Amino acid sequence: MQDTTPKDIGSLSFGLMEPEEYREMSATKIITADTYDDDGFPIDMGLMDPRLGVIDPGLECKTCGKHSGSCNGHFGHIELAAPVIHVGFTKLIRRLLRGTCRECSKLLLTEDERDEFRDQLDESRKLSRDLNDVTKAAIRQARKKDRCPFCGEIQYDIDHEKPTTYYEVQQVLTSEYSQRIAGAMQGDEEEGVERTTPDELAEQTEIELTRVNEILSGSFRPRESQRKAIEKALDIDLTEEDTNKLMPSDIRDWFENIPDEDIEVLGINPERSRPEWMILTVLPVPPVTARPSITLDNGQRSEDDLTHKLVDIIRINQRFMENREAGAPQLIIEDLWELLQYHVTTFMDNEISGTPPARHRSGRPLKTLSQRLKGKEGRFRGSLSGKRVNFSARTVISPDPTLSLNEVGVPDRVAKEMTQTMNVTERNVQDARRFVSNGPEGHPGANYVRRPDGRRLKVTEKNCEQLAEKVEAGWEVNRHLIDGDIVIFNRQPSLHRMSIMAHEVVVMPYKTFRLNTVVCPPYNADFDGDEMNMHALQNEEARAEARVLMRVQEQMLSPRFGENIIGAIQDHISGMYLLTHDNPRFNETQALDLLRATRIDELPEPSGIDDEGTPFWTGYDVFSELLPDDLDLEFTGTIGDEVIIEDGQLLQGTIAEDEVGEFGGEIVDTITKVYGNTRARIFVNEVSTLAMRAIMHFGFSIGIDDETIPEEAQSRIDETIADANDRVEELIEAYERGELESLPGRTIDETLEMKIMQTLSRARDNAGNIADEHFQDDNPAVVMANSGARGSMLNLTQMAGAVGQQAVRGERINRGYEDRTLSHYEPNDLSAEAHGFVENSYTSGLTPREFFFHAMGGREGLVDTAVRTSKSGYLQRRLINALSELETQYDGTVRDTSDTIVQFEFGEDGTSPVKVSSDDDNDIDVEHIADRVLDSEFESAEERQEFLGSKPRPTNLSEHADDRLAEGTEVTSDD
Amino acid sequence: MVDVSQHELVPEHTVLEEEALEDVLEEYNIDRTDLPKIKRNDPALPDEAEIGDVIKIVRDSRTTDQSIVYRLVVE
Repeated sequence: MQDTTPKDIGSLSFGLMEPEEYREMSATKIITADTYDDDGFPIDMGLMDPRLGVIDPGLECKTCGKHSGSCNGHFGHIELAAPVIHVGFTKLIRRLLRGTCRECSKLLLTEDERDEFRDQLDESRKLSRDLNDVTKAAIRQARKKDRCPFCGEIQYDIDHEKPTTYYEVQQVLTSEYSQRIAGAMQGDEEEGVERTTPDELAEQTEIELTRVNEILSGSFRPRESQRKAIEKALDIDLTEEDTNKLMPSDIRDWFENIPDEDIEVLGINPERSRPEWMILTVLPVPPVTARPSITLDNGQRSEDDLTHKLVDIIRINQRFMENREAGAPQLIIEDLWELLQYHVTTFMDNEISGTPPARHRSGRPLKTLSQRLKGKEGRFRGSLSGKRVNFSARTVISPDPTLSLNEVGVPDRVAKEMTQTMNVTERNVQDARRFVSNGPEGHPGANYVRRPDGRRLKVTEKNCEQLAEKVEAGWEVNRHLIDGDIVIFNRQPSLHRMSIMAHEVVVMPYKTFRLNTVVCPPYNADFDGDEMNMHALQNEEARAEARVLMRVQEQMLSPRFGENIIGAIQDHISGMYLLTHDNPRFNETQALDLLRATRIDELPEPSGIDDEGTPFWTGYDVFSELLPDDLDLEFTGTIGDEVIIEDGQLLQGTIAEDEVGEFGGEIVDTITKVYGNTRARIFVNEVSTLAMRAIMHFGFSIGIDDETIPEEAQSRIDETIADANDRVEELIEAYERGELESLPGRTIDETLEMKIMQTLSRARDNAGNIADEHFQDDNPAVVMANSGARGSMLNLTQMAGAVGQQAVRGERINRGYEDRTLSHYEPNDLSAEAHGFVENSYTSGLTPREFFFHAMGGREGLVDTAVRTSKSGYLQRRLINALSELETQYDGTVRDTSDTIVQFEFGEDGTSPVKVSSDDDNDIDVEHIADRVLDSEFESAEERQEFLGSKPRPTNLSEHADDRLAEGTEVTSDD
Repeated sequence: MVDVSQHELVPEHTVLEEEALEDVLEEYNIDRTDLPKIKRNDPALPDEAEIGDVIKIVRDSRTTDQSIVYRLVVE
C-alpha cells in the first residue's frame, strides 16, 4: 500500500522456462486431485492447498503470511508422468524437427551456410525486420538436405498431425515388391510397353540373374541400390510410406542434443530458452487466486474451469503412473499418454482445431488459459486496454437551444451522484461548509469528506450539519457537480477526436442530458433515442487540460478538412434563409424580439422609414449585428448569388448553408480563423438563436398539400410518363426485330437496358421539372432544398412528380421468378412497369406492385449501410492498432516505440490542417496575412503598443469571463 | 524504356554525402538503421546508390514549399 512510487521498467525478456525453474518457484507439489475434505478444509498437496495463496478473507497465506487481497498467490507444480508437448510451440517444434539431424541433432546446414544465416539474422535485427523471414529460409534450406552434413545420417520427412502428433515418414520397400516387378515385366500391349524377360532385367540392372529370380519369387528383399536400379529399369515405384510416431520423450531427447550455436541461427536465444523446454515434464499449477472457487447460495462450492482441468490432468497423471508401474501393455500406456497430452493441451488452449474442446458437465466448453487472454472480452482487449470507470454517467440526450454550444445540461440526479474533489483552503472554506451542510440530497451538496489524517467520512442527512462545522482548510470535500464545472462528453462510435469533447455543466431538472443542436454534427447525434456518456474529471490537471484543449469551441475546426464542423443546421438554416432571402422589414418590436437572445440589447440606427413613418430594420441589418465590426468577406453563396460583407455589414446575398452551416460555412470558418474560437462560439450561438427567433416569426411548417400539384400539371406528368413508356416499347420492339444497334463495348442486351434506363430517368426528371414549375419559391420544401437545410430537389421530385426507377445492384429489377420479376407479368416482359419503374409520386401513392419494387430497392440500401458500418469499423480498428504506437516527438519527428523515424516532420510539413487550411485551389494567402499584421502594426503608435501586448488578452477558459469581451473591443485570435 | 526517375511527379532522389549524413544522424540522434528504408531496386533511385547509402529526397510541398526526407537503401 505505502510502496506506490512509480518505478522504471529497465527491460523485459521473454523466453522459455526450465522445468527446474518451475520446481523452484513452486510452493508445493500437487499430488491429489481432490480440493476440499469433508469438513471443508483444503487438502494438503491438493489443488486448493493453502500454500498456493488465500482467497477467503481473514485467512493467512501459508507461504507469505499475507492476507487475501495483498497476497498474489503462489504457483504449485505437477510432476508429469511422461513428457507432453506444449501446444503453443507445435509449429516451432515441427520446424526444429525438420531442420535438425535425427541422429546427431545438429542443424542440417554446413558451417558456412549457418554463419551466413546468422549474419542475415543480425542484419535483420538491426533493421528491425521480421526475423521469421530469415529463420524460415534457414529451415527451408536445411530441409533440402537428404543427409546430415556432419554424421551422414539419412534424413526423413517429418509429418505433423495437428495438434500435437509428429511422424517420421520413411520410404521403405513395399511388401508386394515381387508382384509389382512381375506386373511391370509383363508389359502393356495397349500402351506399347514391351515385355521384359528376367535376363534383360538382370542385364539392365546389373544384378545377377539368380538374384533377379530370387527377387521375383519374393525370397530375397532387394537392397536399396538394387531397388533403385529395378525402379529405373521398369519405371515403377517399389516403395510405400512407413510412418513412425515420435513420442514426446523422443523429441525431448532429440532436442537436448541440439548445440547452442545452432539454435541461435533459428532466432532462439540459447541462454534463455532451450528447445527441449518446449516439451513439458513439469506443469506449473496457477495460484488459487487465478482460479478462485465460488460458494453458491446453497453452500456448495463451484470450482473454476481451470481447477476442473487440473483435476483431469492429475487423475490421468496418476492413472498413467499406476499403469506403468503395474507393467501395463504398451498400447494402454500410449492411450493414457495421449489422454494426458489432450488434457494438458486443452488446459492451455481449448479452441484447437482438430481436437474436441473439453466440456463442462453442462456441455459448455471450458474457458481455459488461452480463452482468458484472447479476443474482445479477453484479458488484453477486455481488461487491460478497456476498463470500466467511475465518475461516469450515461443517459438519453435531448436538445436545448437555450444552452451555449459549450454547455451540457446535466440532470440534477446525475449531478448529485458525480462529484468533484474540492481541496479546502481558507478562501473556499465557506463554500465547502455550505456544500457539506446541504448534505448528499440537497443540490449543491457533498457526498464525502476526507479529513487531513486521511479518514474518509460519508456525508449523510443526519451528520451533515455537524460535519460542516468541522470542515477546515486542509480537508477534502467531494462536492456535487455545479454549473460551470468541466466534464467530458462522448457519443459512440468515437470515430474522430470531436466524438469526445469537454462541456461546461448546467444542472437541470429531469432525466436527460441536454445539448445545443449545433454540436450534433461532430457527435453525429440526433434525438431519436441516442444516449451519450459523461465523465467527471477528477484532478486539476485534467480539468485544465480539458478546458484548454477539449472544449467544444476549441474543436470548432475539423482536422480532417481544416474548416468548421460546427455551425447552423436544419431549422437554423431555414431561419437564416427566411431572414435574409428577400431582406424583409421588421418594426422595432419585431427586430428586438429577433435579437433578444443575443448580446445585442440596443438596436442600431433604423434601416429606413416606411410609408407610414415608422422606422424599420431589414433582415440584413438584424443579421449584421451578429458579425464582428470589421469583417470583410466576399464569396459565392449557397443559392449562387454573391454574398458581400463589408465592415461587418451584410450588403448583399442570402445567408444559408454555405454561409453559416456545418462543414465549412464560410462566415463561421472565417470568424474562427480570424477572430478566434471564442468569437466563433459567440457567433454560432447567436446565429442559432437568431435563426430560431426568425423561423418562429415567419412560421414554418410543411404538410402534404405542399407537395401536391394542380390537376393540369398532373396530367402533363402523366403524359410525359406515357410518352416514356411508348419510347421504351419502341426500343423493345426494335430490339426484338434485331434492329437495335449496340453501343461500343456493350452487348445488345446491355444497350437496350441502358437506353431504357436513360429514357426512364429522363422521364422522371421531366416529371420533376413539371412539378417544380408549380412550386412557389416560398414553398417550405423548396425553401429547405434551396437553403440546404434539409432535402434536395430530387426528394421533392419524388414526392410530387414520379418516384422513378427502382434499382438493385445498379440495374433495373431483374430478380424474382423465372424470366419475370413478379407473377403479374408475362415472362420476358421488358417493359418499364415490369422491371420496377414507379410512375406514381409519393403523394399520389404507389400501386402494390410499385410498392414491392420500392421495398426491394430500399432493402438494398439498408443492407448496404449495415455492411458498410461493420466493414469500416473493422478497418478503423486495424488502422488504429497499426498507428497507435506512433508518437510525435518534441523535435517534430514522428517515431514508433523503437525510435525509428516514420516522418521527419509531422505530416511531412509540420503543420496542422486546423491552423493552416489550404487546399488544392487555395494556397495559404501569406500576403493577406502579412498585410493584416502590418496594418495593425503601423496604423498608429498606440495601436502598435496594443499590438505589442499591453492589452490583456481575453481568456477562453470559461463563459463566465465573457463580460470582458464586450462588443467593440478587438477580439484577438486566441490561438 | 521509361525512366521513372525523370518523371515530373517523382521527387529528386540524391545520395547523401557521408559528412552530411553525420549531421543528419546527429540532428535526429539516431543510427542510420533507424531511418525509413527504400529498396535498392526502387526505380526512383539514382544509379550510383548502393545498399547502405542514405538517400535524400526533396519533395515539393504545398504548405512548406519543400519537405526533405532521408531513406536508407536496403536490398
